Amino acid sequence: MGNIFKKLGAGLLVGGVLVGIAHSQELPGTFQLLFFIVSLIGAMVFMLLDARPLSTMSGEKSLFVVIAFWILMVTVCVAGASLLPQFNPADEKEKIDKLLKSQRAASQQGKAEELIARAKALDEQVKALEERLKGLGSGQATVASLTLPAGDKPSSTAGASSGGGGDFMKVGEEQWQLQECYNCHKLRGEGGKKRGPELDNVGSLLTVEEIQQKIYDPKSFMAEGYEKEYQKGIMPNKFKDLMEPKEMQALAAWLGTFKNTSVNTPKPIKKS
Amino acid sequence: MKKLSGGLLALVVLCSLCVAAATSVYAQEVGVSSVEFPYTGNRTAVWVVAQLHILFAAFILGAPIFVVISEWLGYRKQDPRYDRLAREITKVTVILFSMTAVTGGLFIFVLLAAYPQFTTSFINQFYMVFAVMYPALFIAETILMYAYLYTWDVWKGEKKGRHIALGVLLNLVCLLILFVINGPTSFMNTPPKAEGVSPQDFLAAATLWDKIANQSWFPLSLHRIDGNVAFGGFIAGMIAAYMYMGAKTQEERAYYDWMGFAAIWIAVGGSLLQPFTGLLLAYEMCDYDFSFCPYMMADQLSMFFEMQGVMIGLLFLAINYYSWLSVKRIEGAENVRITILAPIVLVVLLPVMMWVMNTYWIPDPMSLVFLLPLTLSPFLLGRFVPKTVSARTVIKIGFIIMLISDAVWLTPAGFVATGSDMPDDMKLPEGWDYLSSMPAKLSAILTLVFVTVVNFALYNRTIKQGTILWGKIDFASQFVLIFLAFTSTWIMGLMGAVRSLLKKYFHTYSLVSDLSAESFTPTLSYSSGWITAITVFFIAIVSVAALVALRPSVARVREPEGSPVPIAAK
Repeated sequence: MGNIFKKLGAGLLVGGVLVGIAHSQELPGTFQLLFFIVSLIGAMVFMLLDARPLSTMSGEKSLFVVIAFWILMVTVCVAGASLLPQFNPADEKEKIDKLLKSQRAASQQGKAEELIARAKALDEQVKALEERLKGLGSGQATVASLTLPAGDKPSSTAGASSGGGGDFMKVGEEQWQLQECYNCHKLRGEGGKKRGPELDNVGSLLTVEEIQQKIYDPKSFMAEGYEKEYQKGIMPNKFKDLMEPKEMQALAAWLGTFKNTSVNTPKPIKKS
Repeated sequence: MKKLSGGLLALVVLCSLCVAAATSVYAQEVGVSSVEFPYTGNRTAVWVVAQLHILFAAFILGAPIFVVISEWLGYRKQDPRYDRLAREITKVTVILFSMTAVTGGLFIFVLLAAYPQFTTSFINQFYMVFAVMYPALFIAETILMYAYLYTWDVWKGEKKGRHIALGVLLNLVCLLILFVINGPTSFMNTPPKAEGVSPQDFLAAATLWDKIANQSWFPLSLHRIDGNVAFGGFIAGMIAAYMYMGAKTQEERAYYDWMGFAAIWIAVGGSLLQPFTGLLLAYEMCDYDFSFCPYMMADQLSMFFEMQGVMIGLLFLAINYYSWLSVKRIEGAENVRITILAPIVLVVLLPVMMWVMNTYWIPDPMSLVFLLPLTLSPFLLGRFVPKTVSARTVIKIGFIIMLISDAVWLTPAGFVATGSDMPDDMKLPEGWDYLSSMPAKLSAILTLVFVTVVNFALYNRTIKQGTILWGKIDFASQFVLIFLAFTSTWIMGLMGAVRSLLKKYFHTYSLVSDLSAESFTPTLSYSSGWITAITVFFIAIVSVAALVALRPSVARVREPEGSPVPIAAK
């Protein structure tokens, strides 16, 4: 028992010191808690290291202890994972709904077209039968023309925006969010991890067409000071496949409005 | 009349069946799943069955590597315990072989039911793999596996080399299966592409080899090879623990104590390579498409990696705790000493490595110029330094270093689920953010590996100078073995989910979208529930298989072990 209290005391002391240091350095509370928990785990580890050997068990007793141990492990895993911050799938679902809207619609359209084609084929068979039957009689069967709705292709998410310029800009901003450009680029003081240049002044340095070219072909321009990232090809070359041309235009146009000269957006260098 | 009405009825039934069949075929043609799995939904149903299949497959592909190494060691050392270990694990493997086939078949059925259109097109992409290569190799593996088991008694003594050669051949086929099936698997994450050509156009012109040899294929295969060896070892350790607990005699206890020890050290050998091959896989994935990196480390999957850090930290602590308990049952261990350079390097390694990695980030080889001499110094220069420290003290210092490394590994940029939503008051303040950087994480992982290597060296030194009392290990060690099997299986489930989720809302990344309503990233809490359920189910099946395969043979076959208890270490 003395071993347990001694180790627990040491764990609490180390944890307290770490929390004190973290607090003085203005680390958020969750980090202070993390350091404290690690200290307590450390105390537990040292309790185990110096614990008296567990006596050998067998038969039903060992089975019971193994089952109890399993329940403990399962509980710790599920509870531990559930205690960590959880990503809200609703955020992503909303984005994916927008990204896949046109494809889903096309898929529904595909189904509808398939149904129409089958209905047409059946109808023609019925008509052929009718004609044969009538041909046996008067031979003047009238064939009524079947008119089916043409079924226009649904417009993409960008399609809805072709109205006003404000809508067009909204599509551009939406694409910024949907394609998660903020993961690498800082804009309006948000996002970015220095993987890509800050873009608040990109409108002063590139035309809308040039911005669109950069999105379409990331190798077309290189930001000054980002030689390593350019060489590695960090900016994905996939947006031309994931975005409709109108969506890309909208994103480029929206980015082109950012002309904040107080932000040091690096100079773009034309490469190809 | 009766005949006519009967005939008409038969015709109507036949027509109805045709209509029903046509309807169901039509439903598949347009890509609508006619099946909606209750409770789980289609995506989770596919995930659960696929993960179960992968766990069984990992064991039956990894265990033969483990087994043939053990058999060869037994032959070389003339120690019958290795041979018995190899044979017992082979028996369990043969039972689990059928479970692999069952879950594999079930996987295809569930996939076809849940995603008929995608599955059909995917099989068309790889019809040579799915229809020819994989079945042919699987049949070859089955024949070799049974031949390997049933020639054990025939090819012994002078013919043992022949049996080991058969085991090696079995392993070659297993490796081929792994490489072949990893083609379609990795293809879904990183389909081949080329500059200036649309993915669809490139794929239309791609050969089968182009599709298989995609960017993540080789690193994934490497990662799975050493992962499977480690996994096989941890599962064998758990089987040893169960048998130890059920052992009736001291002789049996001594054998299963030894088996647990041997299995864990083979598993550790595989585990030590895991961080390197895992890093290579992550590197190639990020090189393919950099958006994978923030998705994993900063966004939707960031807390999955936090959980991975927790579990791997616990895994390493448990491995070294087992090592500690193993040292404790060696008579004379308290007198073993080691150069003072070992604890010094242990203490300075983490901060030095963090500095070096920050300055010369991978793949800059300059980091090796600093780190190799530092890590090798206790082994190369130790004999020239007269000052020594007790082995037990060094192991305890190692535990402190491991705890600090775990803390570094677990420190995220912020305790929030997605980096884009991170408020400032949740972020690590500037000046401390290096703790959450990739160089810091890598340094922490490598420090854990280094501590484990030092402990292994210490253990070897201890057994050379002391006497191992087989069967006298602290009973707590058996729970450590069970814990290691559980943890390694859980981590495999977690990382399997991560690899699959990296496809985001695609079936095949950037090529085939998953248009279902389930194509989003589930929460860690939801995922961990299913990962735990899969783990429990898998381990329960393995436990039953082990009891079925090993209990009767234990009662029937009583081969002399040639290792009285206690024995002197060799």
